[in-house]
Amino acid sequence: MAIKSIDGCIGCGECVKSCPTDVIRLDPKTKKAVITYPEDCQICHLCRMNCPVDAITIDPTKSIPVVVSWG
Amino acid sequence: METRNKRPYLLIGVAVYLLIPLIYLLLADFPERTVLKNAISFLTLGAYFLMLGQFYLTRINKVTLQGNKFSSVIKKHKIIGYIFIPILILHPFLIVVPRFFESGVDPSDALKTILTTYTSSGLIVGMVAMILMICLGITSMFRAKLRLPYRTWRITHGILSILFVITATWHAIDLGRHTDIVLSIYMILLAATGIFFLLKLYIMNPQNKGGRK
Amino acid sequence: MSENEKKGLSRRQFLGLATGVVGAAALTGLGMKIRWNTKEREIDLDTFTSEETGTDVLVIGGGMAGLFASVKAHDAGAKVHLVSKGRLGSSGQTPFAKGIFVYDEKTASVTLDEFTDLVSKSAINTNNPVYTRQMAIHSKERVNELRDWGFFESPLYHKAFSKPINERNIPVSERIMITHLIKENGRIAGAAGFSIDEAKIHIFKAKSVILCTGAGGFKPNGFPICDLTHDGSIMAYKIGAKITGKEWNDGHSGSQDNPAACYDGWHGMFDRTPSVNGVEVHHDLGMDANYSAYILGNPVSSGPGSQMVEGGPYVPDGFTREMEEMGPPAIDGDQKGPKGPPPGDEDGRGAPPQNNDEGGAPPGMASAASGGASAGMAIHKSEGIVPINEKGESNIPGLYAAGDALGSHMAGGIYTQVGSSLAGSAVQGAIAAEAAAEYVKTVSLQSIPSSSVSAIKEEILAPLKRESGYTPAWVTQTLQGIMIPNFVLYIKKENLMKAALAYIEELRDHHMPMLRASNLHELRLAHETGNMIISAEMKLRASLMRTESRCSHYRLDYPDVDYDNWQAWINIYKGSDGQMKLEKQAFDAWPAQ
Repeated sequence: MAIKSIDGCIGCGECVKSCPTDVIRLDPKTKKAVITYPEDCQICHLCRMNCPVDAITIDPTKSIPVVVSWG
Repeated sequence: METRNKRPYLLIGVAVYLLIPLIYLLLADFPERTVLKNAISFLTLGAYFLMLGQFYLTRINKVTLQGNKFSSVIKKHKIIGYIFIPILILHPFLIVVPRFFESGVDPSDALKTILTTYTSSGLIVGMVAMILMICLGITSMFRAKLRLPYRTWRITHGILSILFVITATWHAIDLGRHTDIVLSIYMILLAATGIFFLLKLYIMNPQNKGGRK
Repeated sequence: MSENEKKGLSRRQFLGLATGVVGAAALTGLGMKIRWNTKEREIDLDTFTSEETGTDVLVIGGGMAGLFASVKAHDAGAKVHLVSKGRLGSSGQTPFAKGIFVYDEKTASVTLDEFTDLVSKSAINTNNPVYTRQMAIHSKERVNELRDWGFFESPLYHKAFSKPINERNIPVSERIMITHLIKENGRIAGAAGFSIDEAKIHIFKAKSVILCTGAGGFKPNGFPICDLTHDGSIMAYKIGAKITGKEWNDGHSGSQDNPAACYDGWHGMFDRTPSVNGVEVHHDLGMDANYSAYILGNPVSSGPGSQMVEGGPYVPDGFTREMEEMGPPAIDGDQKGPKGPPPGDEDGRGAPPQNNDEGGAPPGMASAASGGASAGMAIHKSEGIVPINEKGESNIPGLYAAGDALGSHMAGGIYTQVGSSLAGSAVQGAIAAEAAAEYVKTVSLQSIPSSSVSAIKEEILAPLKRESGYTPAWVTQTLQGIMIPNFVLYIKKENLMKAALAYIEELRDHHMPMLRASNLHELRLAHETGNMIISAEMKLRASLMRTESRCSHYRLDYPDVDYDNWQAWINIYKGSDGQMKLEKQAFDAWPAQ
């Protein structure tokens, strides 16, 4: 489901800043990236590409129903 | 006669400090990654576990070393230290190596970000562990030149080791991508056991402090 | 059955279908943790602070147009501030645009005039040749600057974009959503918005504003535009700017397998470093695949493979595609030979998988196409603020726009020159910047009455203050269910558009005023949802008005190009009664002032 997991986050915040749709936030206590609004993930992989420690795993499925023009 | 009493310490050590973690890493449900990335992760984790294993390859291990020649044990202790300390020093660089082969942030920029992130405790603790580890390596390599009494050196080595293992374990649990709850507990157990026996040796058997003549 | 009954039936059918889509969507969502509107407010309203910043030129948006607007306005002597909803070079469509067009008169196969004519021919006159030429003329200079900044060295653009901005010490405010343009005494006075990270309202006082806010869509699945909701056009519309091009559609399709996975759908395109390409004029991203899907049903092959269907959108002579021509697409734009669909165009988005695959998978094989990947977006640069001249100036003094926020019709109502969108954004950003920098020398910074400021603050925070209402997520999904079906947005006919309009008016009148947010993320979504609703209304009204088919606008009930009545664009503006008004603007004229 969209961004699937963040393992080994160092808390640099690059993914937070590079996400166009504001899916990831830093936990105010642990200072680590947390998948906060996965339903808004557009599966563009910018967060993964920007992560300096390659901590982000992304799944191609969306976590909410998908509306398309024909099925 | 001596051979009869020899215990298979090496086999046990390899099993506890390498095979068990490795088997767990392969079997547990971690996100799939490329061979290179897994190789780097496993190398780093292996190096860390072998550092924990250094406790095992000392005089504090009264159990499995029994009957073995101590000089050969300490030789292995040194070889492991001199090989795997450099690997651990390199691991922040190794982490960004896969970026040379795939699209994304420039490896040098990634490294810069890693080395300049001070907001999370994990990285700071890791840097402290790194400094302690380098001190351990240097004080061992140049022990002769330091001209410290052996006892002083050994206490220094022991204290540095304890501090290093605590900070390194903290760092690994906090930031390691594979350190889930199971692996974390295993790490803590191994680290605690090592520290416990080292302290026990120092505190309970002060007569042994002198060690070798 | 009488005509009336027929109409009544089709409307009822439509209601059923629309709710069916939403209902089905909701069903598949069972088990997911979607809590429609049960969340408590997570933020203390009393903690909101506000910050006021003054500048000569305020650039809104940090993509390709915003980059050049900021740099060139600074270089022309103006004090510049850049504000972005996301991160510089990492939001909107820019981060995914991998091909950029360069017109080099020394090596180009055609002259500048020939190039412009070629675009006009493909676009059936819907392009504004002034902007088409301008893009070509300046493309080389802009690309050379980009090269100096390191743009072509990384697949990620933030670093290259930051270079000229940092060298000039241009202040950048990121993760701030601008929701309001402020007009005082008939001219622009600034803009206002809020931070998505902290409880803070930002008021920017500016002599001039350049909207580089990109295009937008209905947060569709399969195209990386879920952060783009026509924010710029809608806030400009609200203060009296004219909006054009809403009847055009971008015909990108996605993949039936994981349609929402933008990255996967483009097969590694997002991984590429950008590259340049030369003249390559197409007639792409129209309604062919949509028409084919409408007539034949699924599975459908998108793009040029669909010519086996009788009828459908008209393609001008010389721009039709034969099967044999297809092949490995020109991903990076500049390869000669096989002309694939336009992947690798400026925005790097070509038709999805089955066309991008080597050789192209036969229809129905591999992954079939799904429609509406970019639903809610028109052809690049065909929709947006109506320019009153070649400088991206709007009818509101001090308000400029560039890139996809400007309805320059640079490419026309169909996708023509490959790679021209990114080039056009750079060119238009620079030109608007120089015009704005000139303009700010003639005016002074206006003060904004505190009554205006507090009214704006009230509007910004309203969704947070509501104790009950509707979540932006639910309203968005409902809007998607109404607008995205092929038979509403793409294969248009009067009855269904009127029915859809009734739904959209309901959302506008009853749901938009009741959007509710529990945190700053949702506050952003609430404002975006409002913008999407107004954009949907614009799209339907413009599509209803345009009683012909041309380029990416296809009417089943008016299938032919109407050269007698429709050599014109449609401008939309807010009437003095607050209602949406529409007018024609002849293709060869600037708007009446």
